Amino acid sequence: MKLLHVIVVLLVTIVAQGQQNEKKILLENATVHIGNGQVIYNGLVGIQNNSIILVQNALAYTYNPNDWDSIIQLNGHHIYPGFVAPNTTLGLTEIDAVRATRDFDEVGTFNPHVRSQIAYNCESAILATVRTNGVLITQAAPRGGIISGTSSVMSTSCWNWEDGTLLADDGIHLNWPSSLKGGEWWSENKVITRNDQYEERKRQITNFFAQAETYQQEDGKAADLKFEAMKACLNGNKRVYFHADELQQLLDIVDFVGAFRLQNAVIIGGYDSYLITEKLKEHHISVMLPRVHSLPEKDDDAVDLVYRLPYLLQQGGVLFCLQNEGDMDAMNVRNLPFLAGTAMAYGLTEEEAVRSITLNACRILGIDHYYGSIEVGKRASLFISTGNALDMRTNNARMILSDGMFLPVTNFQTDLYLKYRKKYGF
Amino acid sequence: MKRLVLAFLLFNVYTLLGQLNTPVNGVAETPANSFVLTNVTILVSPEKTINHGNIIVRDGVIVAVGQQLVLPNDLPIIDGNDRVVLPSFIELFSSLGIPAPANNHDNASPQYLSKKNGPYYWNEAIHPEIDPTALYSIDETAINELHKMGFGAALTHQNDGIFQGTGSLVTLGKNKWKQQLIQPKIAAFYSFEKGISKQEYPSSLMGSIALIRQTLYDADWYKNAQKKSSNYSLDAVNAHQNLPSIFFTNATYEVFRVHALEHEFNRKFTVVGTGHEYELGTPWDSLQQTLIIPINFPAPYDLKDPYIARQVPLADLKHWELAPSNLAYLTQQKVAFSITTNGLKTADEFWKNLHKSFEYGFTPEEALRALTINPSKLIGVDSLLGTIEKGKKACFTLYDVNPFLYQAKVLEVYTNGEREVKISIPDVDIRGKYSLNIDGVKYHLSIAGSQQKPEASVSLIRTINDSITNKSKADTLKTTAFIQLIDNDLTLQFLLKDKKTTQHFALKGVYNARVWIVEGTGTDSIGNWIKWSALRTEKFVGKSDEPVWKTRADQPVPPLYPNMAFGFTAIPKQETLAFENATVWTNESEGIIENATVIVQNGKIKAIQKNTGNYPANTRIIDAKGKHLTSGIIDEHSHIAISKGVNESGQAITAEVRIGDVITADDINVYRQLSGGVTAAQLLHGSANPVGGQSALIKLKWGHMPQDYLIPNAPKFVKFALGENVKQANWGDYNTTRFPQTRMGVEQVYIDGFARALAYHEAQLNYQKLSDREKSKIGKPAIDLELEALYEIVSGNRKITCHSYVQSEINMLMHVADSFGFHVNTFTHILEGYKVADKMKAHGVGASTFADWWAYKFEVKDAIPFNAALMQEMNIVVAINSDDAEMGRRLNQEAAKIVKYGGVSEEEAWKMVTLNPAKLLHLDDRMGSVQVGKDADLVLWTANPLSIEAKVVYTIVDGEVLYDSQLNDEKLAAIELEKARIATLMLDSSVKGDEAKPFKRRKRGQYHCNTLGQEQATGTNEH
Repeated sequence: MKLLHVIVVLLVTIVAQGQQNEKKILLENATVHIGNGQVIYNGLVGIQNNSIILVQNALAYTYNPNDWDSIIQLNGHHIYPGFVAPNTTLGLTEIDAVRATRDFDEVGTFNPHVRSQIAYNCESAILATVRTNGVLITQAAPRGGIISGTSSVMSTSCWNWEDGTLLADDGIHLNWPSSLKGGEWWSENKVITRNDQYEERKRQITNFFAQAETYQQEDGKAADLKFEAMKACLNGNKRVYFHADELQQLLDIVDFVGAFRLQNAVIIGGYDSYLITEKLKEHHISVMLPRVHSLPEKDDDAVDLVYRLPYLLQQGGVLFCLQNEGDMDAMNVRNLPFLAGTAMAYGLTEEEAVRSITLNACRILGIDHYYGSIEVGKRASLFISTGNALDMRTNNARMILSDGMFLPVTNFQTDLYLKYRKKYGF
Repeated sequence: MKRLVLAFLLFNVYTLLGQLNTPVNGVAETPANSFVLTNVTILVSPEKTINHGNIIVRDGVIVAVGQQLVLPNDLPIIDGNDRVVLPSFIELFSSLGIPAPANNHDNASPQYLSKKNGPYYWNEAIHPEIDPTALYSIDETAINELHKMGFGAALTHQNDGIFQGTGSLVTLGKNKWKQQLIQPKIAAFYSFEKGISKQEYPSSLMGSIALIRQTLYDADWYKNAQKKSSNYSLDAVNAHQNLPSIFFTNATYEVFRVHALEHEFNRKFTVVGTGHEYELGTPWDSLQQTLIIPINFPAPYDLKDPYIARQVPLADLKHWELAPSNLAYLTQQKVAFSITTNGLKTADEFWKNLHKSFEYGFTPEEALRALTINPSKLIGVDSLLGTIEKGKKACFTLYDVNPFLYQAKVLEVYTNGEREVKISIPDVDIRGKYSLNIDGVKYHLSIAGSQQKPEASVSLIRTINDSITNKSKADTLKTTAFIQLIDNDLTLQFLLKDKKTTQHFALKGVYNARVWIVEGTGTDSIGNWIKWSALRTEKFVGKSDEPVWKTRADQPVPPLYPNMAFGFTAIPKQETLAFENATVWTNESEGIIENATVIVQNGKIKAIQKNTGNYPANTRIIDAKGKHLTSGIIDEHSHIAISKGVNESGQAITAEVRIGDVITADDINVYRQLSGGVTAAQLLHGSANPVGGQSALIKLKWGHMPQDYLIPNAPKFVKFALGENVKQANWGDYNTTRFPQTRMGVEQVYIDGFARALAYHEAQLNYQKLSDREKSKIGKPAIDLELEALYEIVSGNRKITCHSYVQSEINMLMHVADSFGFHVNTFTHILEGYKVADKMKAHGVGASTFADWWAYKFEVKDAIPFNAALMQEMNIVVAINSDDAEMGRRLNQEAAKIVKYGGVSEEEAWKMVTLNPAKLLHLDDRMGSVQVGKDADLVLWTANPLSIEAKVVYTIVDGEVLYDSQLNDEKLAAIELEKARIATLMLDSSVKGDEAKPFKRRKRGQYHCNTLGQEQATGTNEH
């Protein structure tokens, strides 16, 4: 059994799981997917404490083995920066159908003050199953209303939300009103029509932002939690994530971003974004594309349109990354690498595909100083797979490091598997 | 002549004998329904027109029609002035004058049983006993609109429920209710919609169909049974057996569903169609269907906003263009049909759409037939209505011109001989140019407009002196004038005014139409009485005699199959194919063969050879070098291509409903799945109840009609379900009353159902053993479709695919099956199968599971992605299924996950989406591997199909190329062009005055296991 083999190897090589490593460790003979679009075959990666201290091509670099406390021979296995899953309810929900476990949708229409960070459950059983496929960073995103709340960027391995936080309160999530209506539930006879309240809904948002701006300029007012929470958005310290898909919405968002001079605005979804790449590029608006594994919106759309969106945005020069919002979105985070794989099959190069779930995502989230690529000085959050991690067949965890900590490559599902194998005498 | 008179007398005697004496409040009145209408063009019937004809009517009945008739001198004569008479049209599908039914039950929780008191059927949607005759009241507004469309009779009924009741034929007169009723209970009405009934069952189309079947079986039994009780509903069902039966449908393929019922019960139905019949190909010879067709063509879309315009689907654009060709299509297909105004709001629309149909090749003769003869024959009143012939009711309409050719007006409506004048047109057409002389001054009078509403203008030509040049020049002063002609009295009044002149005249005169002169007196601007006269100098030249429509020179672009994006231009056909030098995944002992050539002929795999060449004639050669050829993916658990409901959730056991009854052929997900290499699927009922409906085993025959999707002679399957869905755990607080609400109850539902099925079967057997005398004494036991299906299950003839999650319930069902001596065939989902794999192996059940789903509800807490691998290791036949239209198109990727989770070999993982589901469905003798003689269901991939980079080049189903990646790109480009082309036509039609409607887009959601009713989910999914 391949899997068992991996486990044995790990037990031998790894010092103590879950402990930060003060020793200098060198990973050698690895295929290093830097995350910025480059790859080093026969690469060397050195780590100490929580950081990467060396990244080299073995053909052009000689080293003294005595300099290293431990050298791990990777036999050509692949090293990736930990994958990044933005915009998920991971850690905020456990079982979708059980209301008691759902902590991502608060009552209210404008909830910028509501913060996901403190609801993030480090012991969520789902987190373990996500890590073992390489996803080490997530953005815990609230849902519902017009402004759902404020998200935070979290590690998928942590003791509590405090030490799990990579970037607190990174931005608010704004569900832009739909220019069409009738799209959620149907009988076969129901139809989508133009949303005649669209203008009104837009005005509502504009008013809210305008009020927040006024509030910011006035002193001595009684504190308004909502507007307090908006301050950082308006002065550029917090992002605004616009959830929207249709062309009309996207164009209006571009105008809105300009009107309020919002920094680092992000569109989440952006199904129609491929039609306005020039404009998005010009206004420095980045896009977190719809789940690659989702159906086209319209019968007339190309069957593979969603598969090709990453390529189309890449061609258009827009900063984009992948995300996974949709049906069962917490559990499905573990398939994030395969979304990138499909994007690769439909136009991206392998390294561009890797970048779409690593460095690009970190840039959009604002954590690229520390995360997203395998470069000296960045945090050692690495996923090491025996094969191409973007292909279902070959995504096999050999080692997982989060901020220099070695994590188990198994989870409770593996345990159950082994338990029942044992029952049957295998 | 004598004989003629005699005939008249005899006729009068009969009509008098046929009348009942009713008390009169006052003195007796002679009805005004005897007259002679002369000098009219009579469209007697589609075949016969009489010019300058006469119609003699006595007592509301036509007694003679012809050119040269001896006109009786005891009747008033109405001069038709060379206008046009058509027989009254007959509306067959209407609720005219009948109030909409209401349901006053106010339910606090779901209603499972009928709340109707009395000896009626157990389901509130079955009420054939309803006779709305007494409810009929004369609705003048609605009648006036129908009159404008030329209708003079309507079959009206209450359009509610499944067995709706009967309809009554009325003439569209406005007086004397009793005289309007021709015949009550003249036809029976049916539909698939349960209407106002709040009883839960049926909640889906397939439930409606099952209910119709059960009702008809019950009625049949009731007819022959020794009656111990009475049932008004079943009495009515039987009484209506020989009545004309009209079946309302509202979706494209439903005509086929009605036809299946006709076939099973040897009944004939006339189907109220949808206007989409032209999309159905050429099935009419075999269907032999009479139809009632609406002509409510869609309005053009408002495409001004380009962001909105791009939302309009090709399907809607195509239908907008082709809807007017439907009648011509049906005529060309030799289908007997009547036209209904159902769905039309105004008479203008009716005539406009009819004229539009003529442009597309439909003819006035056929229109008349579809509006008169066909409907009258259908309901057996062709001796009374439908033509203008002797002996028929005097029901006809007088138009100013032939309404089929011109924009005509209804002038008079005759109902049973009673005349209603709609528009009074003067006998004389005074239009033209006149020389008008008022007190010696000459004016020009011009009369135009229409005959009944003439419009006049007056001009004065004078010479004026230009003050600057001091030259004289001619100048015309012009004004509009009021004009009115009543009988021969003409009124003319006008005011001529400019800076220098003010002339006002009010004139009255007598028009002499023989010499076209009018003379009289009037007053001028200062009140003087003056004399005036006018002489016609020029006859009015109106519009030309050209009809308002012209037959199109070009044919419209034909429909696609299906008529939407990615449809085919013709229904696909089998091809002879050779895939050369492919890497072939055989799924057989040969394993994966490199550089092999596979030949396909007549829908089967003909040969697998190492060398190329030696092909049958007309072989299309496909270079498959470097590519991988596999058998098609089979999705063991799918809910695509299903119409109007995947769950019949109205009862805990619904074994009687059949997905096969409700396949639809226009679900884009079929095409999308072909693009992912899927060629066959089991379409399962949802998981809302312990025993769901019967599955349909289909091939993804994109471009074909629904019935062609069904795999012939497929094994029988039924859906079972366990766990949270059947106990309605996640359905909220409203749904807490249906048994079962716990896993404990689920077991009892099964035991009870199977025990009842066995008892039912025994009763049938015992009956068979009786002597003929005893048989006739006892009567045949009733057929119960639910118990029939349950007996098939318990006797092993219908296999179970059971939705299941946790080990306790899996174990339970195997125990129940063991105790009744049969096997469960497949557990689907089966996410805790790994915990009881040994027991499953012992029971001999297969497994069809998800690769890696979990955490979406409590019962999948212990679901692990290693499940498939471990069950496989335990020698259970394992398949990977989708239960999801999105995942269904990349099941190759899901299979690849099994290589990751548990290290299954690539070949074995591949079998989990091909051969293994074929085994579970007992179709492995004809599909699931690349083997000579098996169905040519093949997929050519760009790479190893389990690789993340694999894409489909071709998908072949039964030897037909149903997905071709290159053609797909061409289709995509063609969609844009076609949309732009039709959008231009739409714009043109809007410019010409067709009112544009705002954008609308239908979107088919997805069905999942737990989708209820006819709603489809695009939101969360709990499977």
